[in-house]
Amino acid sequence: MTSTSNIDANDAVAVQSEGSGQIRLVNLTKTFGNTQAVANVSLTIPHGSYCCLIGPSGCGKTTILRMIAGHETPTSGDILIGGTSVIGQPPVNRGTAMMFQSYALFPHLTILDNVAFYLKMRGVKKDERRRQAHEMLERVQLDHLKERMPAQLSGGQQQRVALARALITNPKVLLLDEPLSALDEFLRLQMRGELKSLQKELGITFVHVTHTQPEAIALADMVVVMDNGTIEQAGTALEIFNKPETPYVARFMGAQNVLTGKVDAMLAGSAHLVSHRGEKFEIPLTKRSTEVGDTVSISIRRDVISVKKASDTDPAAAVNTVFGVVDSTEYQGNFVKVSLKIDGVDTFVANISDAEYFSETVGPGDRVMASWKTAGVHVLSKVDTDSAGSPYAI
Amino acid sequence: MALSYNPRPWTFYVLATLFGLFILFLYGPMISVLILSFQGPNGSLNFPLREPSLMWFDEVFSPRRVGDVPGAFGRSFPLAMIVMVLTILISVTAGFGFRHKFSGSSAIFYTAIASLIIPGLVLSIGILVTARFLGISADWFSTALGAHLSWTLPFGLLIMFAVLGRLDPSYEEAAFDLGASRWQTLKEVVVPIVFPGIIAVALFGFTLSYDEFPRSWLTAGTKNTLPLEIWTMTTNVTSPSLYALGAITTGISFLVIGLALGSIILIQRKRAG
Repeated sequence: MTSTSNIDANDAVAVQSEGSGQIRLVNLTKTFGNTQAVANVSLTIPHGSYCCLIGPSGCGKTTILRMIAGHETPTSGDILIGGTSVIGQPPVNRGTAMMFQSYALFPHLTILDNVAFYLKMRGVKKDERRRQAHEMLERVQLDHLKERMPAQLSGGQQQRVALARALITNPKVLLLDEPLSALDEFLRLQMRGELKSLQKELGITFVHVTHTQPEAIALADMVVVMDNGTIEQAGTALEIFNKPETPYVARFMGAQNVLTGKVDAMLAGSAHLVSHRGEKFEIPLTKRSTEVGDTVSISIRRDVISVKKASDTDPAAAVNTVFGVVDSTEYQGNFVKVSLKIDGVDTFVANISDAEYFSETVGPGDRVMASWKTAGVHVLSKVDTDSAGSPYAI
Repeated sequence: MALSYNPRPWTFYVLATLFGLFILFLYGPMISVLILSFQGPNGSLNFPLREPSLMWFDEVFSPRRVGDVPGAFGRSFPLAMIVMVLTILISVTAGFGFRHKFSGSSAIFYTAIASLIIPGLVLSIGILVTARFLGISADWFSTALGAHLSWTLPFGLLIMFAVLGRLDPSYEEAAFDLGASRWQTLKEVVVPIVFPGIIAVALFGFTLSYDEFPRSWLTAGTKNTLPLEIWTMTTNVTSPSLYALGAITTGISFLVIGLALGSIILIQRKRAG
């Protein structure tokens, strides 16, 4: 009993060999009344990885986390941890521990007794459980506050206590429900770094629910982008950010610009698209077979676009260019965010380096041309059906 | 020159006066009774206070003169204690029951609360009639107990609704996550967190029963509870011992309230540090 309740580096290795923290979701579905929170989701999270579930509120990410934890029962489908189905098992038998969004520290217990709670439930003697809880608090550098009550601690300290309380169960999987959302910006960045290094050190699987893109990109080995109860894309942060599969992922994760057109001509290694407004885009040919007449959506990162004032002499049919009117400009320190309206409808955003911006400033109302190089174009595997733009494009 | 940045509006003075009068009405009579309970042997039922003494307190405890006060107290106090314990048991468990929505839960809730609006005297008659019909004799420990519970349970339930409504379900989930059984979760987490609320339920249970007149009127049987005894005395005792009795019973109520509030404050101070 004591060996399973005391975490240090050696134990973390032992856990790895004892039982794998691999999580497999098989056709997982959860319905609440008439609404389907999670719809037939299948996913494998490798052992020892840092996985971030990201999506707007109501996308089902927290429901998945709670089903893995055992706080919600799936309507259908299976959850396997380390290869065995855990449906119907209590959290302790699953090898999971959860850190709640509100931290849920017991207000009537001292910090020490909060951390020792798991051991108390297992009947560990008072002196022994306090000793182990003390060691755990030393790990999160809070042993000097062990006699305090939770209400006397700052948000960041409370979070460390919640972490210590979860880790004392020696889990194979740590589940974190929006763990950084209650912290201020400075603490958030600090705790983000600490979570990442802790995960590396323990070598266990972390599943972290968030709605903040930079958090997912910075932390995760595996990012799972969700919308409407389904997985839009799962992959490394690099893949999600640079090679989004769907217009939704392109917009939600990278706040990228999505354009759609019909293939007009095939060239060697590339193809030409014509949009419904007559703009011409050159796209690199991917593995996907493309034929003349196909409708194709592409995404262009905000930071590969240059913006110039449009003059009458500009060729109307320039390739990889859209014309629009500046809607707003926002100085962001190291770059300037320039939002255009194309035909007064579609939003197109470019992030321009401040040096480039201040060499030729543009302001609201100016007619400008935004252009990019073919190498900066990414072809999406799904055609954009949301041509009016996404509510998540910030 | 006195220059105020924030002169108080005239409404402040009107409302402050109103509040002062309210406090006077609230506590004035009680303080008068308290003062007059120390009336001397030649004093009357009215002011002024002459030759202050403790003689009327002594009088209270001699059954010959003013009726059976110690006997009435000997019924009222255990009755209030029983009502308190039952109110805690029933409203706390019912409160937890209502946390999970079940079909007909709101109908049951409103049925339970509705007994608050039934006039106590009417209820008293109803209980007596029903008890007679069922062949149960009216006694403080049977019919009066039931009548008092019809008054304290809705209050207890309402308090538990307020308390449990603020209880974050993630505390229980966290306990479950840390390997606590349902019973351990209740014992180690939920009850300690809602304990101040349970004390409030106890307080209401005790004081509502201890002071209850209308619902005791016909249900207490042949032997009076304390409020009934005091009422009887007002009709045939015309000495300041009435005031002494009032002072003692009020003192007991305050003692109970003080103990309860004190323990709530103690718990919260321990928690907040």
